[in-house]
Amino acid sequence: MDQTTMIMALVPIFLIQLALMIFALVDLVKNPNPNGPKWMWGIVIVVINLIGPILYLVIGRKNY
Amino acid sequence: MKQFLLLLRKEQLENIRNYKIYWIPAIFILLGIVEPTTNYFLPQILESSGSLPEGAVFEMPTPTPEQMLAAIMEQFQTIGIAVLILAYMGTIAGERKSGTATLLYVRPLSFKAYFLSKWTTASVISLVSVWLGFLAGYYYTFLFFGEVELIKVFQMVGTYSMWVLVVMAFVLVASAIAPNSGFAAAIALGTYLLIQLIDGLFGSNWTFSPVKIPQYGVEWLTGSANSSLWGAIGIAVLLIIFLFAVGSWAAKKNKAKTKV
Repeated sequence: MDQTTMIMALVPIFLIQLALMIFALVDLVKNPNPNGPKWMWGIVIVVINLIGPILYLVIGRKNY
Repeated sequence: MKQFLLLLRKEQLENIRNYKIYWIPAIFILLGIVEPTTNYFLPQILESSGSLPEGAVFEMPTPTPEQMLAAIMEQFQTIGIAVLILAYMGTIAGERKSGTATLLYVRPLSFKAYFLSKWTTASVISLVSVWLGFLAGYYYTFLFFGEVELIKVFQMVGTYSMWVLVVMAFVLVASAIAPNSGFAAAIALGTYLLIQLIDGLFGSNWTFSPVKIPQYGVEWLTGSANSSLWGAIGIAVLLIIFLFAVGSWAAKKNKAKTKV
């Protein structure tokens, strides 16, 4: 497998990761009353790969 | 029936508004993609992490595509199911707390329709997620490791879907019984791990056990179906009906716990 196919294969992972992150961040900014301090959730979403945005969406939003 | 359709509409709207219909499929697709990719790049990852001594040679057996799909299912069984449980732990318990329930329970509500509408929505979303995840995983397996007949993959995922339906019914029952959503997740996750442990330890003769359905799903890949598959599916259907009864009963009984 050459370089281009490899990059083509890795792009979707990166895109989904990025989409989840942006999605969670936008929701965090709009959320008036998250479950915990906002800056903490910001760090969690950006720093922890994959699980960070999920954690925010599951337990960070109060009205699940 | 009319009430069921109405409640179904409400559930759909709720799942769109809290974005569950977007992020649950995204997670399953990601899980499906990551497993074959990390396996394919494992030698490079080990090399770049730099903990190997100079000149160490690794002979990695390349996994067959069938093994890869089984590994994806393994991921879904652990992380995937945990995500589903966390996502739907609050469907009934959280509603009692947030106040939505007060608006519903003052009306002459059929709790069977109530429970069924929740189960239908949760099941549709999780099944779509599981199918999308497997298709993404299948594509990457095909790219990196080689071909599996598509029909066999469909048979496997179809069998696995039955297990997902059982798990979703179970999560909702836990949510109906528990006083709050954290408790519901604890009950559901605890029981999920416990029944797998019990089935693994003592269950070698319980061929009709629904816990073995994922295992039977993998068997489609290598050959034909296990003869006990249909028995296990039959038991699973009975189990779902039983869980419906328990769930709607518990939801009705815990009506008084609603906070205003």
